[in-house]
Formats: sequence, structure tokens, C-alpha cells
Amino acid sequence: MGPAVTLVKDSPPAARKPRSAVSATTGRRPGRRRENLAGYLFMSPWIAGFLLLTAGPMAASLYFAFTDYNLFNTPKWVGFDNFTKMFHDPRWQKSVEVTAKYVVIGTPLKLLLALGVAMLLAQSRRGQAFYRAAFYAPSLIGASVSVGFVWRSLFSDGAIVDRTQSVFGWHVGGWVGNADWVLYCLVALTVWQFGAPMVIFLAGLKQVPRELYEAAEMDGAGPLRRFWNITLPMISPVLFFNVLLETIHSFQIFGSAYVVSNGTCGPADATLVYTCYLYEQGFKNAQMGFAAAMAWMLLLAVALVTAVLFWSQKKWVHYEEGAR
Amino acid sequence: MGTGRNVERRTILKAAGASAAAVGLAATAGCGGSGAGDGTVTIRYSWWGAEERAQKINKTIALFEKKYPKIKVKTDFQTYASFWEKFQTQAAGGNPPDVFQNAVTFLRKYDKRGILLDLKSQVEAGNLSLDHFRAGVTKVGEVDGKQLGVPVGSNTMALVIDKKVFEKAGVEPHAGWTWDDYFKALKTIHDRTKVAGDTGYFSIMYLYDLYLRQNGKAFYTDDGLGFDKADLTEWWTDGYNRVKAGIVTDPKVVAQDFPKSSLSAGHGASEFTWDNFTVRYSAEGDSTYGLAPIPTMDGKHTGQYLASLMLSASARTAHPKEVAQFIDFMVHDPEVGKIMGYDRGILASTEQYSAYRPTDAVNKEIAQYEDDTAKAGVLGTITPHPSGADTIEAAFLRIGGDLGQGKTKVADAVKQFFTESEAAFQA
Repeated sequence: MGPAVTLVKDSPPAARKPRSAVSATTGRRPGRRRENLAGYLFMSPWIAGFLLLTAGPMAASLYFAFTDYNLFNTPKWVGFDNFTKMFHDPRWQKSVEVTAKYVVIGTPLKLLLALGVAMLLAQSRRGQAFYRAAFYAPSLIGASVSVGFVWRSLFSDGAIVDRTQSVFGWHVGGWVGNADWVLYCLVALTVWQFGAPMVIFLAGLKQVPRELYEAAEMDGAGPLRRFWNITLPMISPVLFFNVLLETIHSFQIFGSAYVVSNGTCGPADATLVYTCYLYEQGFKNAQMGFAAAMAWMLLLAVALVTAVLFWSQKKWVHYEEGAR
Repeated sequence: MGTGRNVERRTILKAAGASAAAVGLAATAGCGGSGAGDGTVTIRYSWWGAEERAQKINKTIALFEKKYPKIKVKTDFQTYASFWEKFQTQAAGGNPPDVFQNAVTFLRKYDKRGILLDLKSQVEAGNLSLDHFRAGVTKVGEVDGKQLGVPVGSNTMALVIDKKVFEKAGVEPHAGWTWDDYFKALKTIHDRTKVAGDTGYFSIMYLYDLYLRQNGKAFYTDDGLGFDKADLTEWWTDGYNRVKAGIVTDPKVVAQDFPKSSLSAGHGASEFTWDNFTVRYSAEGDSTYGLAPIPTMDGKHTGQYLASLMLSASARTAHPKEVAQFIDFMVHDPEVGKIMGYDRGILASTEQYSAYRPTDAVNKEIAQYEDDTAKAGVLGTITPHPSGADTIEAAFLRIGGDLGQGKTKVADAVKQFFTESEAAFQA
């Protein structure tokens, strides 16, 4: 999965570089310990940040998940109460339903569009760089609050989407206020940001050896056949990477739901995605124990989905040994 | 990488230096110097409201800082919901603003959590005066024997109407009209103007409170709900039927208009809300807005009471004296009253009340409305809300909206509301 790996930037370069730089200058043993120390010292801002801002809060949240905690009281141990309450809470169930719907509809649509456009852009033509940039742009700004506001106005009653629809005699009176439609407005927003997976697909497509297509064409394979038997298997590692990333990403939707619904996650809980409900319980109702339990439940669910995806890749992801 | 080694090392050192500096900055920012060496004291003041209110308040703060040059005021404001989210987080972190706007729904909640300063001690110390207030107004800030807030203005629930639509439909509200009269009026309005008569009365906690009070109950007791499932089932069933009949605005439309009111957006002809909201609606909408009496059961009792916006202080403040002086200035100074007008309700202290004479029609009508209400002798005493009332108010509004959209059956909605209320009281 060559092209994919280059895009993953998880560890800050500053944390890695000193070690190689220092050990390359002096390789003598006596100074080793001091150099190690220096290395750790240089890493210390990152380590401190990790411990204080990530590991610590995570441990605390795991503890809170088993307590009754309203931010002001001393947390009271309640065992699995928060989890049993969660499973019996109709709004929690609703939030799971809304999120699942969003993930299941939004992710495939986004990836299909990304792959389709990537295939068009993979052919050489004039102004290619411009198109790539243009299609990628929404991914850069799509997560911002202002785009959420723009979206809300686009899909309101009497706004452009509504009026265009009405021309075809299909009047719903705006998606934003309609509990049956508003989720699709969020789906449209995520699909619109297909640029990021598109770029990754594009990189994958560029790696497919031309000879394979030529040979297949010689043998009389049509475009569909070539796509199915050459393109798809050859880019399956990239596809897998995109599916994984976008699925995980979709589960965490918050900003767009919050902004488009104006902070209400409504109407009628139609945009009550998981994190929205978590936020409401934690920061509006101050049920921090419950919110922490919800967060861990989400982690478990995402981990489970990831595990299933990894397990399934044996069946459909094709790693070409000598391709590079 | 051979040639880049030195450069790299330098970059790393720079990066390390920068992060050290950042840590240092964060540390100093955390301390938020509230007491400088020269005896100058800084207090933090937060409120909810819109830009318009902020401009007025900033003017009043300039006056205060002129009179008390040793006290600096740092301000911060949000919209209502965001304000309380932020406040809760700040308060939980032990860092609430020194002085802040408050309302009756939050008094017991934050008193229970030890956040509110009992201002009685400051009154006794002579830093804050509770004299010269309009009759009974200071009672609103008095809960369980403590003075948890001092009112800046008082308001009461009213029916805000779109005068042009009412006129066009030939409907005239009058004191002592009944609910039957009111709902008939809504129908007439809808028949004659095609505008829904009301924007969704059945999910407003404060209105249901009035209705219950007219029937000898109330929304809250000292520690729970003052009505049962059968009461609410009836209230919501009627409400839903009226949405279906078209005389109450479709909740889909209400959801889209939000945060604007459907009244000022022209999608409803009347709305039950606080009387001082006509100031906001007149700024927001194109029509002319007026105030009408609350409908009654018996032709007399409206169930109304005076509520108010208050200033409260944090129990954690390092400068209780300065905070008390600040509150005292803000509620008593006549100039402040002139600047604020009825933005936060009818001015509470007599000094400010007599200093400000409304000149525009909107503010004049608010004054007239409260005068009439007081003279009609319908004002009762407020029941302080139990802790959790804020969450319950939001749930009432939300579940009412779900119901109106036809997404929940009445029975399920009622059940859900009672479950959520239970949780809110316990939180």
C-alpha cells in the first residue's frame, strides 16, 4: 500500500528527527546515555502533551464511564449503570440509528464519487492540475463552521435546492426543517468533500502498470472488464485504506450536524448523530459519567468495525508483490 | 542529508524553544492577573444576549470604570444556550465569571452546586443596597433565605402579536378573554389571512406553567413536577391537533426559522413569550408587534407573575466587595437605566425606572402592559424552580417539537418527558 502510507502523518517529525541526527554525528558509547537523555528532552514537549492531554484524560474518562458524575459532585461509582441506562434510552437508540444511516449511506456514495472522478482525472488532458485542485478544495474547507452555515441556507425553504426541486414538481419545503430529509443534507455535505479520497485513488490509479491494460486490450477485454479485472484488484489496497479511513471518519461526524441544525440536533432528533447526543448529555445536561460511557461505547463500535474490515481484506484486497 | 545537519539542529532548537515559550505563555495566561500591584482589581462579567445588548452594556461599563477607576471590568457574552454551556464548564472548573447575568431557572441549580454568592453579607457590609426597588421585585432573587441575585429588570409572560395580521383578520384581543376565545381567534386568523395564528404554544414551559396556575397547580413544586401524565397528555394532544388543523405554525417551519422566531419571520401571528421580547422582534421582523393579555380559564386569573433577569456573583470571587459595588452601580445608577432601557425588562430599581422614560412605541407599550397587569391585580408570586429546571425547559421544547412534526405519539412523548425530567432533577 505504497501511496497510502505516504499520506499518513501520525508522529510529528520533530519527535523523530533528533535521534537520527544526533546518533549520526557521534556514534561513541560513553556519550550514548547523555544523547539519549537529550533525545528524550527534545521529545519531552510531545511526551508531556501526550501524557497530560491524551493518556491522562482517556484514563479519567474510562473511570468516569463507571460513575455518576455531574461535573460538580465527587464521582460516585455505579458499575455498569451508565451502560444499562444507555441501552434503554430511546434517544441513545435514535442516535445510533441516525449515525448508522449516515455512515452506511454517506461513505459508499463519497467513495464512489471519489473513484469515478479520480478515473476521469487519471487520463491526461489539458487543465488537469486545475481540475484536481478544484475537486480537492471542498475537502479543505468542508469541515469549517461557515460551510455548515452555507449548507443550511442552501437547503432551506425557498433556497436554491428547494426551488430547483420545485421546478420538477417535487416540493418538500426545504430539507433543513424536515425531519425526513435533513440527514441527506448532511450526507450531501460529506459527499461533496470527496476530494481527499479522490487524491488517494488518483495516486493508486497512477501506479497501475500500463502494460496490463495494453495486454488486456489485445486480448479483447472491454472497458468494464478492464476495470473489474485490472483496475479494481490493483487499487484494492488503496480502496481498503479509503474505506477504512472514511468509515472511521463518518462515525465521528459532529460539526456539520451541530451547525446545520443550529445546535439543536433536530428537527425531531433527525440529526441527532452519536457525538451530538454525547455532547448534549455531557455539556448541556452535565451527565458526564453517561457521556464518558457513550464515548467508550463509540470507541468499541469503531474498533469492531475496523476489525471486521481488516478481517475482510484477506478476501478482497490484493497485494501485488512485484508491482513496485 | 549530510549538508542539512547543522540547519536541522538549529531548527530543532528553535522548535524546542518555541514550545517552551508556548508552555510558559499558557502558564501565565492561566493565572489571569486579577490583582495588579497598584491596587487595581479586574473583575469578569458575562451575560447572554445579542450584539445590541452588548453595545449598551459596554457603555454602562465605561461609566462604571470612570466612577471606580481602580476596578477594571473584563466582559464576555454569548447567546442564551451557549452562555449556559460555557458557564457550566467554567463553574465546574472552579473559574466562573465574578459577576454574571442570571435567571430564576438557574438559582437553585447553581446554589446547590455552591457557585452562587449569598449577597446578604455584602448588603450588610454596605456595598450593595436592596432599597429603592419596585414593589416585590427583589423577591425573585431570594431563594431559601438567601439573596442569590439582584434584579436588573422585571418581565412577565405575555402574548406578543403581529398587529398587522390581527388587524387584517379583524381579531381584537381583550383582557379576560378565555382560551376558547383565543383558539377561535387563531382559527379566524388562519381562515382570513392564511397565516397560522400561533407559533407553537404547547411546547413553552413558561406558558404551560401559567395554564397550570390558572387551574390551581404549577409546573414545579419545590422539588419536582407539579402536574401528572394525564394533564400533559391532554395539553399535548390538543396542541398536536391544532398543528394539524393549521392554526399553529408547522414545526418544520419553526425549525427552519430558528434562531429567528417564527413570529418575526412572518410564519405565525402570535407567540407566548416575555413582554420585553417585542424589542427583539421589532428589530428582527418587518411587521409591527404588540402585546396582548394572556387567555384565562375564568375570565380573570392569568397566572402571571413577575420574573426577572438578575445579576449574580460567584461564591469563588476574590473580590466580593468590588463585585457588590459593581452590581449596586448597575442596578441603581440612573444613567445606566437610561442606556439600558427595557432591554432586560422593566427597570427594577425606582431610580432607574424614573430616570428612563420610553419614547418609542415599543418600549411605551411594554411599560403600559406591565402597568395594566399590575393594576389588574393578577400577579401572583413566583415559585422558585428546582435544580434541573433548565434541562427540563429544553426537553419540553424539544419533545413538543418532535410531537408537532408527527415523529412521536403523544403517549410516548409524555413518557419520554417524565423520564428525562426525573434524570434532570437527580443530576
